[in-house]
Amino acid sequence: MGEHSNWPEWVYIGVVVALLCWVGAEAWNVERLVEHIPEDAKTIKVVGQQWFWTFEHEDGTKEIGELHLETGKAYRFEITSTDVIHSFNIHDYVVLLDAVPGRVNTVWFAPTEAGVYDIQCREYCGLIHYNMRGTLYVEDPT
Amino acid sequence: MRYMLGVVALMVVVATVNLSYAATEEPGEYLDRRTEIWNLFFRMMVVAFTIGAVVSGTLIWLIWRFRESHPKAKPTKYEGVDW
Repeated sequence: MGEHSNWPEWVYIGVVVALLCWVGAEAWNVERLVEHIPEDAKTIKVVGQQWFWTFEHEDGTKEIGELHLETGKAYRFEITSTDVIHSFNIHDYVVLLDAVPGRVNTVWFAPTEAGVYDIQCREYCGLIHYNMRGTLYVEDPT
Repeated sequence: MRYMLGVVALMVVVATVNLSYAATEEPGEYLDRRTEIWNLFFRMMVVAFTIGAVVSGTLIWLIWRFRESHPKAKPTKYEGVDW
């Protein structure tokens, strides 16, 4: 076995390691970009409880089950829960984050198109989980 | 040992190059997370399917080429001389 050549194995290992490094770097970079919250983002407190969503704007305005936002502005959601774990999801804008009792999780997005979008709970949270929905109204600024 | 060092060096070089490229893309305000996340998914799927094609293609070729009935098949020393 002295003259046995194993360079193909090393090439294979090198390619695999390089690809893993590339995948890790790409994912890390996208996560960094997506999680960078703009300084002028408006804060909206989101509270999940069995089985509806409550929203509180910066000016104290509260909404239950529906949320009105404007295009071209950034919004930071501070998400929590009062009972069990929920998960706040706006499917059309790829917003998804758990609502955990005793903890505030933060996610942001900037709506780009006016319209009506679904808000839903994406963590099984009890009997009416399937209907723990809300509506997001995105309007153009007046 | 020098192969090992080569692999480790490659790891460092690839990671550094990636990070330096990534560093040029400063976090922009109001980026569209749908686009970013979809693009990442798209790139990962391109890599995954390419690797899948290469690996399965290699396996298929290996099985085809080194079957006993291949016209150029030769016994190895592990199989003795009773071919």
